[in-house]
Formats: sequence, structure tokens, C-alpha cells
Amino acid sequence: MLTTRRRVVATAVLTAGALLLTSCGDSDSGSSGDGKTLKLWHYEGPNSAMGQAWNEAIKEFKATHPGVKVEFEEKGFEQIQKTAPMVLNSSDAPDVMEYLKGNASAGLLSKQGLLTDLTQEAKARGWDKKLSASVRTTSVYDTNGVMGSGKWYGVPNYAEYTMVYYNKDLFKKYGIAEPKTFDELTAAMDKFVQNKITPLANAGAEYPAQQYLYQLALSKADRAWVDSYQLYKGKTDFHDPAWTYAAETFADWVKKGYIAKTSSSTKAEDAGVSFIQGKSPIFFSGSWWYGRFIDEVKFDWGTFLWPDTQLSPGSGGNIWVVPKGAKNKELAYDFIDITMSKKIQNLLGNKGGVPVAADASAITDPKSKTLIDNFNALSQRDGLAFYPDWPVPGYYDVLVSQTQKLITDSEKPDGYLDALQDAYDKGAPKQ
Amino acid sequence: MTMTVEKRGVTGKAAPAGRPRRRDSYALFLLPGVLAFLAVIIVPFLMNTYVGFTDWQGVGSPSWTGLANYRELMDDSDFWASFRHSLFMVVAMAAVPTAVGLVLAAALFDYIGKHFGSKVVAVLRACFYLPQVLPIAVAGIVWSWILAPDNGSLNALLKAVGLGSWQQDWLGDPDLALYSVMGVMVWVQIGFPLVVFMAGLQRVDPQLHEAAELDGAGWWRRFWHVTLPQIRPEIYVVLTWCTVAALKVFGAVYVLTKGGPGGATNVPSYFSFTTFFEKTQVGYGAAISTVLTVIILALSLIGLKLQTRAEERA
Repeated sequence: MLTTRRRVVATAVLTAGALLLTSCGDSDSGSSGDGKTLKLWHYEGPNSAMGQAWNEAIKEFKATHPGVKVEFEEKGFEQIQKTAPMVLNSSDAPDVMEYLKGNASAGLLSKQGLLTDLTQEAKARGWDKKLSASVRTTSVYDTNGVMGSGKWYGVPNYAEYTMVYYNKDLFKKYGIAEPKTFDELTAAMDKFVQNKITPLANAGAEYPAQQYLYQLALSKADRAWVDSYQLYKGKTDFHDPAWTYAAETFADWVKKGYIAKTSSSTKAEDAGVSFIQGKSPIFFSGSWWYGRFIDEVKFDWGTFLWPDTQLSPGSGGNIWVVPKGAKNKELAYDFIDITMSKKIQNLLGNKGGVPVAADASAITDPKSKTLIDNFNALSQRDGLAFYPDWPVPGYYDVLVSQTQKLITDSEKPDGYLDALQDAYDKGAPKQ
Repeated sequence: MTMTVEKRGVTGKAAPAGRPRRRDSYALFLLPGVLAFLAVIIVPFLMNTYVGFTDWQGVGSPSWTGLANYRELMDDSDFWASFRHSLFMVVAMAAVPTAVGLVLAAALFDYIGKHFGSKVVAVLRACFYLPQVLPIAVAGIVWSWILAPDNGSLNALLKAVGLGSWQQDWLGDPDLALYSVMGVMVWVQIGFPLVVFMAGLQRVDPQLHEAAELDGAGWWRRFWHVTLPQIRPEIYVVLTWCTVAALKVFGAVYVLTKGGPGGATNVPSYFSFTTFFEKTQVGYGAAISTVLTVIILALSLIGLKLQTRAEERA
């Protein structure tokens, strides 16, 4: 018979053991499901083009799969970004989820064996035929988790790219025509500065500043340069003519007043709102703003691709992945297939998104048509150059922090490029 | 009285003479707390310490690298810069609020209370304490609006009163940003010492003040020679608590500046967070957390030791 002390010790050991076992998770995470439930996660807002399209896809899935229950959980972007590796390692993994594309995210998970190889499904269901080469880049990853080649680990259903948004009313007020060349763009900015208007909406604390800088570099670059930087197909030298031109021009633009010296601490939302409120006549940013501008901007506005350049930041959108431990993989493939159908792709296009497999004649909204036409122009000339923070995990923070220094003039272009080189060399895979 | 309590068991009946006291029975009550402490504090801490000796991206198997992370830490200028910023945060979150809180508490207790009544004191105390109740995310967003360079209310106010030349990019200027965050943190923190000190002042024997007053001591001398020594235990508690809070400050930096501009407001906890989640250098992030924990633990023990010594002297 146990004494009180022994009983206490035994209870403690058992409880601690149970706690540890619980924390270790269920090792049988890859067990097959019943085929009656599809567990789905995504983080698109219900009013966004993607959110509306995915909701329609869920309805379509239910209609085509009677008796199958869809367990949809709307997650936050940060929630999925920060916790995905842990969740995918556990028995709580969904059957299909939206995830970030790129080496540091989907690439890392594929390298660790946490994602299902979709190569066979992509061929069998024709996804590989529907996606253009530049959009497909973020679907495939090699054994080191580097995008661009290897097996299929994700499927993007939409694309995104950056463009120049401009306030037509303000351009008209100051007698400025839509810039068709880079010189005309700088001449337009000079005119705004002369009229005491800071032409470019900027956000130093988030991505817009680094996208201006990357676009400037891209205007002096080619596809081989992008492949070297993004896919490690060669040595990236941050003191090459493209990066040097970008850093020096950006610093010069701050001095000239094209970019506000006070924009070092502002966020992307501030920059977008500044454009919406008509305070900044030009905003260079992504297609993710398009739908919101359609809803909220009260003046006449338009867009054009960055002039005199073949390349612009952009890529396939976030991707659908099927976790290795998903219980109902067949249902997951069916759902992805529905999101690639003409019906859902056309809906996505008409709601202000950039579809990857839509029927061009089915896009009826004129603004949406312009958005998609610009994307097609960029895509056809192989102009999607991805984003500057992709090559190295944590590079986003490096770019934010260093570009802030360029805005506040606490670092010169040469030192700025040294810092980028240092962080890149530390984080990029050794060749 | 004490002896009587010691001889009684939990039922209140006197323990039979000649038998040892049954302390084992009390151990059961400690068990849930001990288990929770093990599961929530000790086990994660040990796991974190282990991970700090590895190279790990958060998924897959960690590979043992011994002291490599700590060696890298020694040469990491960003890490040391973040610790220097921590010292500034200790000034903003512990030293200044303690000093200002003391003066404010004494002023509320000695002057406002006597001339305007306890209700006014209660309202003012609640007002000073309000920032402590607000979630830091809310306070941070509001302050980022106030300190915004172009349409922030602080700059607008300065312009309105004819001090337009004083307008600044409060959170975007690397020479100013840390001081701006410090200012916000003083505002956030001040209520805590104030409330603790006011509670401490309640237990100071009024006769001491009266005697000092009769001896001709003015307010400042009474405050310095009577009030301060009497509430020394509260001062130690506040200083220790606020120093620990300052060393692990995260929310305010995350919401206000994200460590910027250009790392000017980076602090160890935020540095650790970005290393963990943005750079996915989990091993290195764990090493930073371990160093931070050891420093906080050491400072807490020193604070407690000083407090105990002061109480023994008193």
C-alpha cells in the first residue's frame, strides 16, 4: 500500500509525464481521414477579391461534394506566418492551407518535409499548364528549399505586381501629363516639389520604401541579375551598377524632396491613406491596394507600370499547400482544383484580384481589365522580379532598418550597400 | 499565540504530544502550483537553454553547436546596442517613474489630500493609473498618432502655439526615437509607483510628521528624512519590479517603432523575437533569451536581497 508521500510523488510523476506527452503531440499525425471533412485555413479578408473567391470556391466544393463538411478557419496572416512550422508538425494540421511563397517560408517547410509533394496532382489536373513560367516559380522548390525548380509544393491562384498609382486630378491641376518615360516621371516629381507637394507616398517602417529602392535597381537589371539575387544562380554584388544606382538615386530623391525625410517611421497604411486622401499624387505599390482604391478613392486615378523598365516586383500570390500530415488529401486536391476553375478565376478577376487562369473576355469591370492587362504585359515579357526581402530569412527587417537609415541620412549609400551585402552573405545558402 | 498555532493541525485541534507534525499533508496543497511551475516555467526554460546550444530553424532536428551562439552573441554589435537601449529603458521605466511617483504620491497625500479632500486624491490617482490599465497595443497606437511627423497632434499643437520650429519627426529621427519611446514609457509607468507609494504612505505614523513639523522641518525635509526612510521597502519593490519590466519591454517597441529607425530603438526582447520568427534562427534567438533571463534573474535577486537587508535594518 502506498504511503501519502509515495502517493504524492507517484501522482506528480504521472501528471508530469502526461504533460510532457501532451506537449510532444500525437505522433500519428499522418493518419488517413474519413473523407467526410475538409479542414481549410486561409487568411484573406472576406471583402477582398481573394476572400470572396475562396468563399465561392467553398460553396462550389460543398455542391460538388455532398456529405462532406468544410471546416473553415479564418486565420490571421501573422498567426500563420509565425506558427505554421509548429502547427504542421502536430496532429492539428489542416488538409489545405494558404501559405506564404518563397525560400524562407514554403521553401523552408518543403525542405523540412512538412509539405506534400503535389507534382503528380499538378500534372494530372493540369495546374502546370494553367500557370505561366514566372508565376510557377513560387510553386516549385528543390531539395534545399530554393524556389524555381524541383517538385511542386504549392499552387498560386492569383498573382500580384507593383505599379505606379497616380492621382489624375492632381496631375491635371498642375498641368502634368501621364509620364511615359522615366525622365517624364522625374520631371513630374520636380513639378510637384516646386508646388510644395511631396510627390511619392512612402513608408520607411514597412515595405514601400524597399520596393522603391528595388524597382530602381531593377530598372538597371536583367533576368540574370534577378536569378542571381533571388535564386543564387551567381554571385550577388551589392556594389554593382544596379544596386549602386538604386541606393544613390533613392538617397538623392530624399534630398530632392521626392520622398519625405519624415517618412522613416511611417507604415504602409499611412502611405496608402496619404494617396487615398489626395495628399501624395504618386504611390508605387502592389496590386493588393487596387480593390481598396476602387472603393475608397474619391478622385480620378490611374495606374501605369514603372516606365523604361522590363522588370517590376511581383510574383504569383500566396499558395495553397497540403501539409504532409493532412488527413484528407484527395479533398484538398479537389478544393485547389475548384479555385483554379474558370468560374472562380473570373470571379477573382472581376472583384479586383489578378487571376492566373481567367477567361479574358469574362472580365467586364474596366478597372479590373486595366489591372489584368498590365499584369499580362508584365508577365508576357517575363517581368516578375519577386520581392527584395525573399532571398534570406529575416531580410525584410534588414531592408526596413537599413533603408530607414538612408531616409534619415544616418547612413550613406556605400555603407547601406555594405550592410545589405553582409546580411545577404550571412543568410543566403552557401554555394 | 504563535506557539498555539504551531501546535495545532489543519483542523484546529491540538496535535498529540510526542508525535511529529504532519507537514506531508500540506505538500498536497503545493502540488498543483509546483506542477504548473514545472510545466510553464522550468521545462520551457530548460528547453530554451538547450535550444540555445543548437543551430535550429524551428522545424526539423536541431544540430548541437555548443557555445557557438554565445560566441556569436559576444561579437554581435546589434545585440549590445539593444542592451544599451535597455539601460535607457530602465531609466524611463524604473528610475524616472520611481522618482516622479514618489514626489507625486507625497504631494497628493500631504497637500492635495489635506486641501481638497480624499475624493480629489482618488480621482487624480485613478487618472495617473489609467495608462497601466490600457493595453499597451492601444496606448502604442494612440501615441504613434500623437507623435506622427506630418499630422500628429503633438506637432500640430506646437505649431498652434507658435512653436513650429520645435516640430520633430519624433519616432522617425534616429537621434530622437529612443527618447520618444522613453517618454511614452514614463507616461505608461508612472501610475504603478504612485499607487504603491500612496499605499505605503498610509502606514507611516502621522505622529512622526507632526513631531518633525514641530521641530521646524519644512515639507521637503519631512519628505526626505521621514517619508522616504519609512517607505523604503515599497521603493525597493517598485524599483525591482520596474527594472525587470524595463529589461523585458517588448509591446511598446513593437507597436511604436518595430526597433527602428535603423535599429535605434531595438531592445533585447524584440531582437530575440525577430531572430526567432523573422530570421528563423531559433537557436540564436534562444541564446539571446537565455542571456536575458539570466540577467533579469540576477537583477531580481539583487533587488530582493537589498530589500531584505533594508527591512532587517528597519
